[in-house]
Amino acid sequence: MLLIVTASFTACQKWKQEHTDIYSYTPPAADHPVSDKEPLSCNNGSTVVPVKGTMLSGKTYTVSDGCDLVINSGDTLLLQPGVKLNMGTGSSLIVLGTLVSNGSKDQPNFITIPGITKNDQPGGLLIANDPAYAGKWKGIIGGPTCNLMILRWTHIEYAGLTEGKATAAIAGSGLNNQYSILFANYNGNFIMEDSWLYGGVDDPIRISAGKIAIFRNTFEKNGVHGGDCINVKGGAVGTMAYNLFVGTATNGQKASNKGQATGAPQTNIVMYNNTFVSGGYRQSQSGRGGTINFEEGAMGMYYNNVAINCKYGYRVVGSPAADIAHLSYGNNYQWADSVSVANEFYPTGYSTKPQTTDIPSITTSAKYLPPNYIPGSIYDGSDAVQKNSPMFLNFPLPTTGHPLAQYTAVGNYNFRIQANSPLIGKGNTSIKPLIVVPVNSIYGIAEVTMPGTDLGCYQLSGVGNQH
Amino acid sequence: MKQPYLFYKLLLFLFAGMLFTTSLSAQSIEILVKDSKSGEPMMGASINLTQGKSSRVASTNFKGRFLFEKVKSGPYKFWVNYMGYKHSEVFEGTINGSQAKTITVDLQDASIEMNETNIVGHASKETDHSARALEKNAGMIQNILSANTIQLLPDVTVANALQRVSGVTIQRSNSGEGRYAIIRGMDQRYNTTLVNGIKIPSPDNQYRFVPMDIFPSEMLERLEVIKALTPSMEGDAIGGAMNLVMKSAPDKFILSANISGGLSTLFSSSRPFVHFNASPNKNSPAAVNGNSYTATYSDFNNQGLTSQKNLSNPFSSTAGLTIGDRFLKGKLGVIVSASYQNIYRGSDSRQLTPNAQPAADPLPNTPLFSDAYNRTYSIQTQRLGIHNKIDYIIDKNNKLSLYNLYIHQSEFESRLNTDTTGFGTNSTSIRKALTITDRNTLTQQNIYNSTLHGDHKLSDKLRFNWDGVYSVANRHMPDRTEFSYDAKQVLDANHELIAEVDNNTKLTHHWENNTDKDIAGYGNLIFNHTIAGREVEFAVGGVYRHKKRKADYITYGLAGGNSTLYQGDFSTVPFTFNSPADAIGSNNPDLQNNYSVIENDNAEYLQFRFNLIPKLQVLGGVRVENTHMTYGTESPMTVTQRAGTVSYTDVLPSLHLKYVLTDDQNLRASYFASISRPGFGELVPYKTEGQYYNQVGNPNLKHITADNADLRYEFFPGGADQLLIGTFYKKIYNPIEYFVVKDGGPSAQVIMPQNDSGAATNYGFEALLTKFFGEIGLSLNYTYTHSRITTSKLLYYRDPDPTIGLQQSFVDQTRPLQGQANNVGNASILYKSGKLGLDIQLAFVYTGERLSQVSPYYNLDFYQHAYNQLDFSFEKTLIKKLSFYGKINNITNAASKIYLKYPNGKLDAVQQEFLSKQDISGQTLVQSDYYKTLFLGGFRYKF
Repeated sequence: MLLIVTASFTACQKWKQEHTDIYSYTPPAADHPVSDKEPLSCNNGSTVVPVKGTMLSGKTYTVSDGCDLVINSGDTLLLQPGVKLNMGTGSSLIVLGTLVSNGSKDQPNFITIPGITKNDQPGGLLIANDPAYAGKWKGIIGGPTCNLMILRWTHIEYAGLTEGKATAAIAGSGLNNQYSILFANYNGNFIMEDSWLYGGVDDPIRISAGKIAIFRNTFEKNGVHGGDCINVKGGAVGTMAYNLFVGTATNGQKASNKGQATGAPQTNIVMYNNTFVSGGYRQSQSGRGGTINFEEGAMGMYYNNVAINCKYGYRVVGSPAADIAHLSYGNNYQWADSVSVANEFYPTGYSTKPQTTDIPSITTSAKYLPPNYIPGSIYDGSDAVQKNSPMFLNFPLPTTGHPLAQYTAVGNYNFRIQANSPLIGKGNTSIKPLIVVPVNSIYGIAEVTMPGTDLGCYQLSGVGNQH
Repeated sequence: MKQPYLFYKLLLFLFAGMLFTTSLSAQSIEILVKDSKSGEPMMGASINLTQGKSSRVASTNFKGRFLFEKVKSGPYKFWVNYMGYKHSEVFEGTINGSQAKTITVDLQDASIEMNETNIVGHASKETDHSARALEKNAGMIQNILSANTIQLLPDVTVANALQRVSGVTIQRSNSGEGRYAIIRGMDQRYNTTLVNGIKIPSPDNQYRFVPMDIFPSEMLERLEVIKALTPSMEGDAIGGAMNLVMKSAPDKFILSANISGGLSTLFSSSRPFVHFNASPNKNSPAAVNGNSYTATYSDFNNQGLTSQKNLSNPFSSTAGLTIGDRFLKGKLGVIVSASYQNIYRGSDSRQLTPNAQPAADPLPNTPLFSDAYNRTYSIQTQRLGIHNKIDYIIDKNNKLSLYNLYIHQSEFESRLNTDTTGFGTNSTSIRKALTITDRNTLTQQNIYNSTLHGDHKLSDKLRFNWDGVYSVANRHMPDRTEFSYDAKQVLDANHELIAEVDNNTKLTHHWENNTDKDIAGYGNLIFNHTIAGREVEFAVGGVYRHKKRKADYITYGLAGGNSTLYQGDFSTVPFTFNSPADAIGSNNPDLQNNYSVIENDNAEYLQFRFNLIPKLQVLGGVRVENTHMTYGTESPMTVTQRAGTVSYTDVLPSLHLKYVLTDDQNLRASYFASISRPGFGELVPYKTEGQYYNQVGNPNLKHITADNADLRYEFFPGGADQLLIGTFYKKIYNPIEYFVVKDGGPSAQVIMPQNDSGAATNYGFEALLTKFFGEIGLSLNYTYTHSRITTSKLLYYRDPDPTIGLQQSFVDQTRPLQGQANNVGNASILYKSGKLGLDIQLAFVYTGERLSQVSPYYNLDFYQHAYNQLDFSFEKTLIKKLSFYGKINNITNAASKIYLKYPNGKLDAVQQEFLSKQDISGQTLVQSDYYKTLFLGGFRYKF
């Protein structure tokens, strides 16, 4: 009987058959050079416009509403200096290959929505009416095969619309994503230097993984009700330096090792000489931060930073813990108009250890900080209020006339420092940037600025942020 | 039926008293009633004894006997009848002079009983006794619960009754009510549901398996769990097939009715039941006005939430009515049965959600949690079941029947959820970020099935039967309404609340619908032929099924924003869409989940049955299952996997041997190959909300195939008594397991069903014993199951080389299949006293520890702790046809508890602040659900 069973079983396995035919979409090849003669438009039921080649200096290119501009894997799109790329409502720029926006100081590039007037007066517009937060287009979406994305002297504005399933399916991203810029390849390089990111909905820059270099950029009005301005996750390695953040919804710079892929490195981010102004006031959750944040297995360092009236100070999370054994920090400056801000210089409930090089000094008084101070505990910050005015060129402190949450853009302010600023000469110059991206005037980082002697993103010498 | 039995017993006492006064004779007649085919003694057969003008009625005992004592001298007449069997001939005789006669009566089955290929039952066989006979005589391995057993069970749904079957465990819904059956450790996907042998479509939004709590148990004639498939049966069950045999038309007029009411002790004024009226908007704005319509807040109705009110002691009720009769000289039989239930249940649930990633320090995969949920459920379930069967005997060779079943279930679920978010990040010892959600959901499920069945005897050797089937199953979730807000609490050093800000209000209106329509035809041709002096039965036949499924989803999310604080009245919150684009139906991300499926299946088989030697029956053959499935979604052309076709052919051999050791003992061995088809929601690439993770479909999923072997010893000593001992072995190829995959970012992880490359094995041992000691019966069953599968899991660790640091890698882990418990047992004590007219049952179910949630990470699976439930039920005859009955569920308030096998004391200190009370030091309690006790009591009337 067993033989019969065995025999019939073998026969049956032979007769067995299977056939599957699942629809598969590949974006068509970009078969002709990109042209500014007519709008880059999609049709016949497809949202895809494949592009490659060079966008020429001084020209304006237009993407039609609802279209996904796709740089296929292996293709490159280069924007010469002085290119304006007008994105249509609901459009996106999907990078499966290489994107280089090579703007220059004299001829910056724009990737934007045309015809919008900015209002950067503090409180000039309600959040609901401010186009900065409206998410007009879906942003620059780096797919898993994007090996290089460079934004140099480039304005990125009004992005952050929800990707949706169709766009996410092409980009290999997430349909609920509301990022202005996504990068998600731990073998790829993301370089952003001397650029501007204006507006956004959720995280304006999400680095799911990647080698990064983010130098000397200006960030304004980033995130509606949440979102960390530059939010890096598991498998991101590199440096963020000399960036200016005004009015971020939550943190300016956040590092986490969450979601580290198999084969990807541990998140390791070096942050120095960044300036944060009025960060953290649009986050609807409490305690999330408003400046720098290290959590969940991230290692690295942060030195020489300046935080002005941010809702929470530099935050090191103890659970899920940052890689505290491999995290160092110091020489960080903070300013508080009020005691509620100073009470969170060392955010309560977390693990940030006060450093002797911090300003205001941690031995300012018996209250700031008490000798038995334990990281995360509640303290009285009243003796640290309005200490060591940074002497910006044009940003009077303490602020007057507006709630702190309304300082969301640079506008007419100037955060460069005067010669009598207490920020001068307090920097730690012994630390080193972590450069893992290529150094190249076009296809890499053009300039690595070393840690400065003055705190913040503007050096008295003129080095640092050039905006 | 038990009721007439009690009734006749009562009558007997009456008559006995009367007789006492008229005669003092000492003669006796003992009548033994047996099944003519099986020779099985039949309990509960009624005997009419007439002597002159006096007549006596009695029913047989557990041994099929009744002794008429003190019979008058002289001539007598008697006949025997038994539901589902033909009336006996009238026996006539004379008795005198202290004679003690014993007469054996063989009763013949009234149905045109054919064989296994004729799966549809024909006559009422509601007793344990006939259930035992069916088990004994079946060609394959199965377990049966009779209507009498079910009626006395503490359970009102088929799902809960299933847990009394050997080798079956149940998966509970949020109300603690059983919903799905796990047969021999194989979870619901591996099992199918049949009604009268016909496969029915499922109203489930994702899977093919049918929620078993939708069926009121009182509509059943018997419940069969078939554990080995013959070629004539549909080949898509690996664990087993549950066949719900519904009541069929009786031989004579019957009427029975019952009504009951009850309470759950969960509810009180301090823990009220939350009642709500469903939203009047059955369809979404996009469904009403078209997908291009831009909805505004005024298009929505919040009645689902605003009608909410608290009831401290809601009263559950059930009612049932069955009427049946036979007309046209017995040629036309009709039965109609209706059942209504309105049950209030609920649960209090606490749950910890694992963080998307554990910690690598101090040890690899150190568990972390992100959220703590505290949920209270109030669930009102209304079930209406109507079934009707009409059979018409055209002549002695031809019979037709029409069967109709309609089942409706409306479930009103109110869920209040407090979610403490972000342990250590958003929530710390001095700050709490809570999201409070009030969600009211009406889920309506319907099943309709209509089957026209014909039996034809074409010649002495050739028979043909066929079925034409039309079925619809659908599920509607009209306007699930959810309101949520964030409560940001600031605590002082003593954890006392000092300030709270409530905002970030959100209002969600969600609709979802799915409908399956099946048209199927079954045909079987049975040919008997004598070969080499042996009667050989050949059967050929097949099934064709055309299935259409449609599913649609839409969600409208409105926000009140952060600037408006929530002051306790959500009607004052100015809800708007985040962007006007979100209000347009065609922009709705859910809309792209909408899909339709057409599946054409056909199967053909060849089956033979003969006795190789007189004591050895061989049943075997081969079945070919062809599946052809096409799906299409509403996604645009740029979306890969938006449409697809999957087809496959399986050839499934089987062989069943039955060796008759003695008249009441069998030895069985069987092998069968079978398949399990993936659910539509698993294949179609759409995304649904899950418990911990959202879930996406996988069009590349292969169907599951299995080889199954069984061995069983059976002993039927008579009556309802039985002893079954068996063992089984299954090898499962391409088993579908759930794996976590990234969905566009590290925080966005989803689970996706995937075939595991390695085969799973599942083997075990089953034992079942039922024994009556006079009026007291004992029923015990026990199943040991051992299943193993090896899958790749993530390990997050710190490399000793500091330049490498934290790393993630894959390691293999071998574990049981999800849902499988090593040890499962039932024990019940029955007391059946005809004298007192009292039946009592105390039923105990034990489900051993089992894997409840598979983690993507090594060693972080969640296990449900061993679960014990004690239920009680009784029925007492009050007068004649009227009895009082009661059911008590979950007497001990057993909780369902889920643990992570990691010492809770070793979690990091911040995490520990968020744990609820722990009770096992070596483990961490991550979920507990309490249901409390449910009482039901009522009356049953039987004519």
